[in-house]
Amino acid sequence: MRAGVGRPRRRLSPAALGFLGVLPGLVLIGALILYPVGYAGWLSLHDKHSFFPTEQFIGLRNYVDVAHDEEFWDSLWRGVIYAAGTTALQIALGVGAALVLHQPFPGRTAVRALVLFPYMIPTIVAVVVWRWLLNDTYGLVDYLLVAWGLARQPVVWLSVDYIMASLIVMSVWQFTPFVILSVLARLQTVPPELYEAARVDGASAWARFRHVTLPQLKAVLFVVILLRGIWMFTKFDTVWLWGEGAGAGREIRTLPIYAYMRTFTYYQAGLGSALAVIMFLMLMAATLVYFRLFWREEDAA
Amino acid sequence: MRRLQGPLWRAFVYAAALGLAAQAVFPLLWMLSTSLKPPREVFATPPTLVPAAPTLANFVRLFEETAFLTYFLNSILVSGLTVLLTMAVGASGAYSLTRFAFPGRETVAKLILCTYMFAPIMIVIPIYILARRLGIVNTHLALVLSYSSFCLPFSLWLLRAFFRGIPVELEEAAQVDGAGRARAVWHVVVPLALPGVIATSIFTFTLAWNDYIFTRILVASDELKTLPVGVQDLFSAAVVDWGLIMAAGMLITIPALAFFMAVQRHLVAGWGSGGLKG
Repeated sequence: MRAGVGRPRRRLSPAALGFLGVLPGLVLIGALILYPVGYAGWLSLHDKHSFFPTEQFIGLRNYVDVAHDEEFWDSLWRGVIYAAGTTALQIALGVGAALVLHQPFPGRTAVRALVLFPYMIPTIVAVVVWRWLLNDTYGLVDYLLVAWGLARQPVVWLSVDYIMASLIVMSVWQFTPFVILSVLARLQTVPPELYEAARVDGASAWARFRHVTLPQLKAVLFVVILLRGIWMFTKFDTVWLWGEGAGAGREIRTLPIYAYMRTFTYYQAGLGSALAVIMFLMLMAATLVYFRLFWREEDAA
Repeated sequence: MRRLQGPLWRAFVYAAALGLAAQAVFPLLWMLSTSLKPPREVFATPPTLVPAAPTLANFVRLFEETAFLTYFLNSILVSGLTVLLTMAVGASGAYSLTRFAFPGRETVAKLILCTYMFAPIMIVIPIYILARRLGIVNTHLALVLSYSSFCLPFSLWLLRAFFRGIPVELEEAAQVDGAGRARAVWHVVVPLALPGVIATSIFTFTLAWNDYIFTRILVASDELKTLPVGVQDLFSAAVVDWGLIMAAGMLITIPALAFFMAVQRHLVAGWGSGGLKG
């Protein structure tokens, strides 16, 4: 640090310094994200084997093939169910939990920390623990269900009928802490005077929630729903490990999983990329519509 | 701040808080319990929460019979290198984004946030093809670079929030007192930014530590695998050895949770400013 002090040298303008400081980051982001994303677009226009170095330009053939591919529409539908189902549950449970954890009670700090655990543990751990809990022969959940008379026989949670439901439950457990923390952070900044005023006006608890809390949460919920929706729709590891990674799960083969399989099981990198690009374009379109429908400038405050 | 009163309401809050804590922690307790059971007890009916004959045999077997230690060291190496790379680049970028006005600054910040939107699968396919072409498939270098694709935007954004919290005036005062910018940064900004840098490093480490998909695709040989992929392979064996898997789960979770506990009070600050991922 000291070497340069006092030696006369040409001064860089602050703007140049600032740009120099961000440059390494921009180069890495360009090389590791933007270039790959552009390359995916290029790949999607080619017939490209995942291993062999040859490729052939085929225009929009991959996209036409995808449109006629029944498995694509199935995986899209499954992805929508998974993303919508998990996001809705995460929001409902997360907001409820945040409201509870916003109340003063002894040990609140500890409970707040504990509640975040599921979000911080590696996905592989969350998956194996839940598969053990839901194991149909030795699992604790089925044992209790039968012992308490809630089920006549053990439920096979990874069977065709229940695998989507069990995946949703497990995912909601894993990702709801994100909603809790985001909402909690916002609740802490709501001015107490608003509640005082509402109380003076004789508003009931429900009315205070409806007319004071909820409007204050609008902006954060807007962002959280968007992020969680996108992340659940593009979720790979949790879904893959719950199903294919363990040799099951056609019923939870969502779009990212299908793109992965096309690329790494059938070696059709071009087609796999086309699926990824379609997923990206759908998200862009959905995001634009979402903004158009729900975003109000005054919410940003 | 008290918003609602009455014993009934208080009882409800306690019960709900207890339920929330229990649902979050119970699966991990069950993992711990299973990891300490001998095989017979793992499959016992009725299941026991507290092992009747606790043993460390599963942990011993994990190190003796599997490549767990190799996976563990690989995970530490690759995650550590990723943190070094992204923090060096990220801190310089975040500092510049908060301290210098230059044309396109807001665009750069928005661009970084936008990269959050790219699905892993969209990046993983081209990165795999590119890595093959460069001949770096099946190397740790490929892992460090590909981890940076999701760690760098995350750490840049989080660091930017921390740097924003440091008043520019302190730095300017030091410069008025005759210190050069470099010295002002070293003596004023660095000490103030350190807690934020450490917290960001830890969150970045956990992000890299948890990665599954990039390692799955880029690494094939057993001696290069990281924990999530290595443990999944144990899990995919013909007969699932639950005691062994739960022991592995415990050992993967402990570093992540220990780090998390150490910095969790920083979490809300970063969260509010958009430093989040997942």
